[in-house]
Amino acid sequence: MISDYFSYAFKNLRYRKVRTWLTMIGIVIGIAAVVSIISLGQGLEDMVTGQFEDMGADKITIMPGSSLLSVGMAAISLNQKDYDVIKRTKGVEYVTGMIYSSIRIEYKDESEYTFVIGMPLDSDSKRIFDSMQNFKIDYGRDLKDGDNNVVVVGASVAKDENIFVKGVSIGSKITIEGVNFKVIGVLETLGNEQDDRSVYINIDRSRDIFDNKEDYDMFFVQAKSGFDVSEVADDITDALRKSRDLKEGEEDFNVQTTEQLQESFGTIFSIVQWFLIGIASISIVVGGIGIMNTMYTSVLERTYDIGIMKAVGAKNSDILMLFVIEAGTLGAVGGIIGMIVGGGFAKLIEIVAKNALPADLLKAHLGVELLVGAVLFAFVVGMASGAFPARQAARMKPVDALRYE
Amino acid sequence: MRFEYFRYAFKNIRHRRLRSWLTLIGIFIGIAAVVALISVGQGMQNAINEEFQKAGADRITIQPAGGFAGAYVSEKLYQSDVDVVNRVKSVDFATGVIVKTGRIKYKDQTESAAIFGIDSDEDTKRFIEKIDFFLIEEGRQFKSIDNNVAILGSNIASDLFDREIVLGEKIIVEGKEFKVIGIQKKSGSPMHDNMVRITTDSAQELFDLEKTEEVSMIFAKVKPGLDPLEVAEDVRDALRKDHDVKEGKEDFIVVTAEQMIEGFNNILLVIQVVLVGIAAISLVVGGIGITNTMYTSVVERTREIGIMKSVGAKNSDIISIFLLESAMLGFFGGILGVVIGLSVSKVIELVAVSAGVTVLKAYFGIELIFGALLFSMVVGTVSGVLPAKSAAKMNPVDALRSMI
Repeated sequence: MISDYFSYAFKNLRYRKVRTWLTMIGIVIGIAAVVSIISLGQGLEDMVTGQFEDMGADKITIMPGSSLLSVGMAAISLNQKDYDVIKRTKGVEYVTGMIYSSIRIEYKDESEYTFVIGMPLDSDSKRIFDSMQNFKIDYGRDLKDGDNNVVVVGASVAKDENIFVKGVSIGSKITIEGVNFKVIGVLETLGNEQDDRSVYINIDRSRDIFDNKEDYDMFFVQAKSGFDVSEVADDITDALRKSRDLKEGEEDFNVQTTEQLQESFGTIFSIVQWFLIGIASISIVVGGIGIMNTMYTSVLERTYDIGIMKAVGAKNSDILMLFVIEAGTLGAVGGIIGMIVGGGFAKLIEIVAKNALPADLLKAHLGVELLVGAVLFAFVVGMASGAFPARQAARMKPVDALRYE
Repeated sequence: MRFEYFRYAFKNIRHRRLRSWLTLIGIFIGIAAVVALISVGQGMQNAINEEFQKAGADRITIQPAGGFAGAYVSEKLYQSDVDVVNRVKSVDFATGVIVKTGRIKYKDQTESAAIFGIDSDEDTKRFIEKIDFFLIEEGRQFKSIDNNVAILGSNIASDLFDREIVLGEKIIVEGKEFKVIGIQKKSGSPMHDNMVRITTDSAQELFDLEKTEEVSMIFAKVKPGLDPLEVAEDVRDALRKDHDVKEGKEDFIVVTAEQMIEGFNNILLVIQVVLVGIAAISLVVGGIGITNTMYTSVVERTREIGIMKSVGAKNSDIISIFLLESAMLGFFGGILGVVIGLSVSKVIELVAVSAGVTVLKAYFGIELIFGALLFSMVVGTVSGVLPAKSAAKMNPVDALRSMI
C-alpha cells in the first residue's frame, strides 16, 4: 500500500520533469550548504580535539591571570615558590614550567619577531612538553639536557619565506638578543601558526636573555595515575591560593585541565557553527516553500484526478497521504543529491586545504549520522511543506473536483 | 504599449495569488536575510569607525614591537621614549600609559579589570579631556597632586559589582586602597567602559615599574593641520635614531588611528562577506523558485501565447512579457525583503542596546535599500530568462492546439 503511494508519487514527479527538477534543486542547494558546513565544522573540531587528546587527559595547565582572557596582560607572574607548592600537592606526578617572550631573532641579514620559548630539558619535563605540545622532530635532533647555545625551530621558521627568505636549516646560526645559537633541529608542523613560528631553547639560557631570574609564564602538570585530574586541579588551586594568601574567587592565576581547555574551546566553536548553520538553513526554508508551491500547482492540476479517486472510494486520508508522500519524496531525493553535492564540496575543501596548509589536518567529517540525518531532514521538510497543499486536496468535494476543467 | 506589459504582468501575478505569494516569500526571505546582515554589519562598522573618530584621527599610538600592549613582549618602551616622542617637532603632545589587568576588590567581591595608569599633570589632563572615551560623568579628572585615587569606567561602577560603586567610596586595586573620585561617561567602547584609571605614579608602584619607568604604550597627538601618516614617520625616525636601530629592524611600532582601524575593518569585511555569501544561497534558491513559477505560468498560458503570436506578437514581445512578470516578482519580493530585513536589524539593535551593547547599530543607507531592490529585480529577471525563451520559441499552431 505504502509502496503504491511512492510509485504514484514518482510517476507524477517524473511527468512534470522541469518543475520537479527545479523544485529539487532548491532543496539540493540548501541541504548541500548545511551538509558541507557541518562536515567541515565537525572536521575542524575533530582536528582540535585530536590535538587536545594528544596532550593527554592527565595534564593540567596553570597560567597567571584570573581568566584565560587576561593571559599575557596579568600584572602578576608565577614563580619558583608556586612551582614548589604545586610540586608538593597531592596527586601531582611532575610539574614543569616554561617562560616565553616575543623577541627579535636574526638570521643572516634578516630579522623577525618570534616567540622564544625557554623550557627545562630534564627528561621528565621534556616528556610532558612533548606530549602537551605534540612536539615531533622533523629532522635534526631534539634538545637534550645540557644543551646550551642550540635551538630547535618551528616548521615555519625553517620553511616559511615570509619569516626568513633564505630558510633556516640544520647548522644555521641565528642570533637572539645578540647571543648566537646553532640550529640543531626542526619540528614537524604543529598546525598552529604561533607555535610553528616559535623557537625553543634551554630555560636557563632564556632566563639570561629575558633577564628573568625566577618567574614562570606557564606550568604544566602531569597528574599521578589513579587520581581524578579535576580533583588534582582543585587541590592545586587551593594550595596556590593558600600560599599566595588569596580568598576564594580572588585567584590571580588559573588552573585548567585538558578537558576544561577543550570545553571552553568547544563552546565558542559550536556557537559559531550553529550561527552559520542557521543562516544556511534559511535556504532550506526557501526550498521548502518551493516544494509547497509546486505541490499547490500539482494539486490544482490534478483536481480532476482527485475527483475521480474520491468518486471510486478514496478516503480523505488516502488523498492526504498521497500528496504528503509526493512532497516528502521531492524533499528526500533533493536531500540525497544535496548530501552528495555537499559532501563532495567538503571533500574538495579538504583537498584544497591539504595543498594550501603544510599538514593534512583538516578532514571533512562525513559521518553516517550526518548523511542519513540530512536525507531524513530533507524528507521531513518536504512532507511538512506538502502538508497544506495535501490538506487542500483532501478536503475537495468530489463533485466540485470532477466538474473542474 | 510598455505600460500594457506592466498591466498584463501585474494581472497575471494577481491572478495566481497563492503561487505568487509563495514565490515572493522565497525571494523576500533571502533578501531579508542579506539586508539584515549587511545592515547590522555596516552599522557595526560605522559605530566602530565613529568610536575611532571620537578617539581622534589625529592620534598616534606607539607600542613595543612583537605583540600587543605588552603581552609577553620582550621589547619595552620607557619614559625616555615618551620624551623622545615629545621632542619631535610635528608632535603636539605625547604621554605614556601603563596598561595591565588586575584584581579589583569592592566590599567582599573581587573581579578583574583593565587597569590604566595615566599621568595626572595639566597637559595630559587637557589631552585626555578631548577624548570622548575619558569624559567624566560624575566627579572629576585627576589633578597633579592626586594620590591613590581612581576613576572608574561606567560598567565598573554600575555593573561589575553586585553593589554599585559611588563617588568617594574605597576600592582595593591589587591589594592597595584607592578612593573613587570620578566615574566616566558610558562611551560604548567595552575597553574603556571596563577600566579602572589610576595615576601613573600609583600604577608604577602597584606593578613595580618605578625604577625602570616602563610604559605599555605611548599616545601622541599630531600638531593641528599635519598629516598623521607623515608625523608617524617623523616619530619613527626619531625613535630609530634614539634606539640606534636600522630601518626594518625597529623594536617599536608606530600606528595612526586610521591604520589601527583599517586592520579591524578588514577583518569585519571578511566576516561580513562570508555571512552574506551563505545567506545569498537562499536567494539563489528563491530565484529558482521564480524560474519554476514562470515555467508553470508559461505552460498554463500556452494557448494565450498561441493567440498572441497568431495576432502578430513577435518573439521579442513574448520574451518581454514574461521577463517583466518575473522581474516584478523579484521586485515585490525585494520590497518585502527590504522592509523585513531592516526591521529585523532594528530589532537586533534594540535587543543589543537593552543588553548594554552599543556597537550593534542598524544601518539604513539609501544605497543598501536601492541596491537590494535592484538586485532582487535582477534575480527575478535572470530567473525568468529560460521560461521566457521557452515561451517565445513556441510554434503558434502547436500552442493554439494545446488543451490547457
